[in-house]
Amino acid sequence: MTLTEQTILLQAPNPAAAENGRKLSKKGSFSALHKTADETLYWGECAGSGKNPYHVSIDWSDPTAPVCRCSCPSRQFPCKHALGLMFEQLSGKPFPVAEIPPDIAEKRAKQAARAAKKDTAAPPKPKKPNAAAQKKKLARQLEGLDMAGRMVEDLLCAGVGSLAGSSAQAFDKLAKDLGSSYLTGLQTAFTRIALAVRTVQKDPKQADAAYAEALNSLIFLRSVIKKSRSFLQEKLNAESYSAEDTVLFEALGGVWKLEDLQAIGAFRENARLVQLSFDVAFDEAKREYIERGWWLDLDSGRIDQTLNLRPAKALKYVKGDDSRFDLLEVPLLCTYPGEGNCRIRWEHASTRPLTEAERTSLPALAQPDLAAAVKLTKNQIKNTLLPKFLAVLVPIGRLGAVGEAFVLEDPKGARIVLRDRPADGPDHASTGRLALLPEEVPPGSALFGLMFYDEADHSLCLHPYSLVTGTHIVRLHY
Amino acid sequence: MNLQPLYTLKERLEQAAIAGTGLLGEDFRLQRAAEALKPLAAASPVFAKLDGGLQALRSAPAAERGGLLLDLLALTDAVVYTQGKTGIDGDLEPLSPVGGTCQPISYGQMQPLITALTTTGGGRMEIIKSTYESHPEYFSDFRVLPALVSGLRDSYGEIADLNAVILRHAGPAALLLLKRDFDPAGKREMARRVEVIAALEGPAVTPWLLEILPQAKKEVRTAVLAALGTDPANAPLLLDLVKTERGANRDAVLTALARQEGEAAQAFWTQELAQKPESIQFLQASNTDLSIALVTSGLKARLERFLGGETHPKREEWEEITTWCQALGQKDSPAMLDFWRWADEHMEAIDQIRGVKNHTPFLGVQLTDQLRGIMRKTGPGPLRDYCLNLWDSHPSMTRYLHISFQAALLSRPAAEVFEKYSPCLLAEDARLDAEHRKSLQAVLLRALGEVAWNLQMERYILDGSFSLAEPLDARWFPLLIRANGDRVLFRLIHPMEDPALMEQVGKYFHYRATHSARDYWGLRGYIDILCICGWTDWAGLLPAALQHMEPLHLHTTIDLLNHLPISAGEKAVQLQAITELVWKGSIKPKSGRWPDLQVRQAIDAWAKE
Repeated sequence: MTLTEQTILLQAPNPAAAENGRKLSKKGSFSALHKTADETLYWGECAGSGKNPYHVSIDWSDPTAPVCRCSCPSRQFPCKHALGLMFEQLSGKPFPVAEIPPDIAEKRAKQAARAAKKDTAAPPKPKKPNAAAQKKKLARQLEGLDMAGRMVEDLLCAGVGSLAGSSAQAFDKLAKDLGSSYLTGLQTAFTRIALAVRTVQKDPKQADAAYAEALNSLIFLRSVIKKSRSFLQEKLNAESYSAEDTVLFEALGGVWKLEDLQAIGAFRENARLVQLSFDVAFDEAKREYIERGWWLDLDSGRIDQTLNLRPAKALKYVKGDDSRFDLLEVPLLCTYPGEGNCRIRWEHASTRPLTEAERTSLPALAQPDLAAAVKLTKNQIKNTLLPKFLAVLVPIGRLGAVGEAFVLEDPKGARIVLRDRPADGPDHASTGRLALLPEEVPPGSALFGLMFYDEADHSLCLHPYSLVTGTHIVRLHY
Repeated sequence: MNLQPLYTLKERLEQAAIAGTGLLGEDFRLQRAAEALKPLAAASPVFAKLDGGLQALRSAPAAERGGLLLDLLALTDAVVYTQGKTGIDGDLEPLSPVGGTCQPISYGQMQPLITALTTTGGGRMEIIKSTYESHPEYFSDFRVLPALVSGLRDSYGEIADLNAVILRHAGPAALLLLKRDFDPAGKREMARRVEVIAALEGPAVTPWLLEILPQAKKEVRTAVLAALGTDPANAPLLLDLVKTERGANRDAVLTALARQEGEAAQAFWTQELAQKPESIQFLQASNTDLSIALVTSGLKARLERFLGGETHPKREEWEEITTWCQALGQKDSPAMLDFWRWADEHMEAIDQIRGVKNHTPFLGVQLTDQLRGIMRKTGPGPLRDYCLNLWDSHPSMTRYLHISFQAALLSRPAAEVFEKYSPCLLAEDARLDAEHRKSLQAVLLRALGEVAWNLQMERYILDGSFSLAEPLDARWFPLLIRANGDRVLFRLIHPMEDPALMEQVGKYFHYRATHSARDYWGLRGYIDILCICGWTDWAGLLPAALQHMEPLHLHTTIDLLNHLPISAGEKAVQLQAITELVWKGSIKPKSGRWPDLQVRQAIDAWAKE
């Protein structure tokens, strides 16, 4: 594997750590640099604030998961010293070949023994769900659904606008109780409503958007409560406690494990993915950062998304995700239940630069025309359990402006207005960047973005995220 | 189909949810919306379903209305989405590319940069600077450029100025953004924009400057007037403006005129300098033939008045000569070389100039310092060659040794430099008197002291900016040891692949540490340099050093021991030895206190490690 700056940045727990590592390398803090003859292990010494240098090493035996070791007391992993050593490698500094240090050889041997033991050990027996506990949980969820239903009714009877002061506090408390009923998804939806109403009270100018958000949450709640009640009752009656391929599981607050997704057959093998865009948003209701990558499957043309959720409280303990520019080869790609842009996850993946042929083929993976993309979007946004947008790749006939509006015209002459999605907020504004494009959009390109319905003029619009040409992807975000 | 009844119904249902279903029965607007929907309901089954839902909602018991309202809203939304239109009529104007680049910058790299450029708070300067150092290409990216332009109004002036410097290298892609929303009556941000635009466009900026000049106010006007100097065709206009502008604006016009050539400009400057000699400061940054001729001729004339020693300059007169010396700036041309030759010929006489109260204004020193500064910055060329030979032609002028030696360091092979100049360090030439030999050594040490090893660049750098032609000849180090050039050695030593040399330097500094260190920081410096030399024999260093040093507290002594790269046991041994010397009276502790209990605690703590 060729070491690139991007590889180093992806290893870093946060951008600051990578930058500090780069500075150490620039400052000349490293000495006694060495590598093994097979170039799988690099090590050296890094001057720290103490009198003795830190001993740093990087084991590249598995290029996709390098093992970084350092004698520094930092709790960040990898630490800035290990990242700095990677920058030393990247800068082409000479690493004379030397014998592997005995302590690292010992650690390697232990690691190999552990891996061998894991390989030879019998596969873990599938866990049997505890039927009694599951039954109890389902019953509790059903009780919770009843309570949620009553809360919705009460709220609507009094009016969403009445949610203020002590009633808002009581509402929050009830919403928290839903968490105890294993219904964290519903709890979040109620929190969203409360937040929206508070926004209106703080800033009446935002009333339209905030009430629209609250009503969407209410419609979602009504839908989940109705559908989940029969779904959970059926499960309870049938005494079936295994995970099932339905969006309701996550909507209620369930968390999918990779093995569960594999168990229900929600996976694809040997997928080739290219990231079209990356962005980060903050979910006020869940108090967490959502790092979202949009991925195009080179074989199926599907557009799916990765979500890296980082709670604000535990931000420094959860490694951040970042933009990726290379092609990802995923042996086993797990897909969450759902329609449209499903969430995807994987355990292992390798990267490589896109070949010329792969790069050229990207725009051809777009929808046949605008009408097809619009149809898919309408189908998605009508579903009360799914997001009110669809990420689509649309072929470009012409890209330009009509008056103040940016417009995409597909090769058949159909048009759509390009506009920032209001719900995304000002930090996601990207349409204006179309006026600053460095070069002309070549014929045969495609535009990737989120198609949504804009209440302002009752039209479907496209929030542009990236331009996909035959030579590269021009990201309007990150 | 007119869908307005549908949209009205949706709005009324939403309002009902906000106001509460308890008021549904009294909602006459919802009633009207329901009536307006009837024609659509008759025409289409979907609308009929909506109509049916509405009737069910209005007739439902209060306890069920909430759920029904949400179901109806969901259905209405679905119909509204289905009816959503796409497209727009009108002529499609193709997007014209702006230039710039699209860089593969990840979120982790770009987000901190954009935040630093567009928000407030501390730590931003460092982010912008370090990103520019490691990835200058990021700043031409079409997503970063707008942030960079908006950063010209940063409330922190240094960041705004840094952004302006970066924009000057961003290329023409920045021009469109800089000119967009330009406000001639704006503040410093707009003035910075003018400066950047002028730097990017050069003389071609004139039409734009002339267009905005009439509306330009305050700082923007000053910047526009100064920018007019980029185009020689503006000379007549500037000559007119200099008559009407006042204060900072007139200074800006003078700055612009300093860049002009030609008879009219010459006539103006001759008259201006005759009336206001201090206006020469505006010619300092200019490198035109006219400015060089004006500065050199004026400076010559001012110096010549006092060369004979008959007339002595008053304070104002030698201060004026100093200003004219500074106006030499970084000028480099054949005419300048002629001036330096003239100055060289008269240097002894210039050195003899005395003020009216017989004090020395050091005009000769000022001139040579100026020459040295220009020589460093102008790079290889006739001036560098001239400086190389300056000391050869005047061996008695030790100031010239400084210039010629540094010119040699910047241009000649290391061995040649050593062979030519090393005799000055420990001059043994019996023909020279002791004072002259001492002076030569002092000048050479001063000149060499301006060189330092740069860890990041891994090379020797003169005066923080200029790389030497070759790494220093290693033979300098033994000589510097003999000359006790500790301060110079401190700057030059770095880990070198010559064990014998490192050992020699290490031994020297070990000796200096144990015999010459006077205080805490002095000893710390020696320890650091010994570490660089790879010194390993630390036994007895502190007990020996402390006997000659000013008294230290116990805690400072322990700090020094902790600074030594030795084991805890060795530290304990040294502290014990120091304590015994304190008891003997060979080491005097500060304030006379050397608490036994704390000594024991420290030794015990080390013993446990």
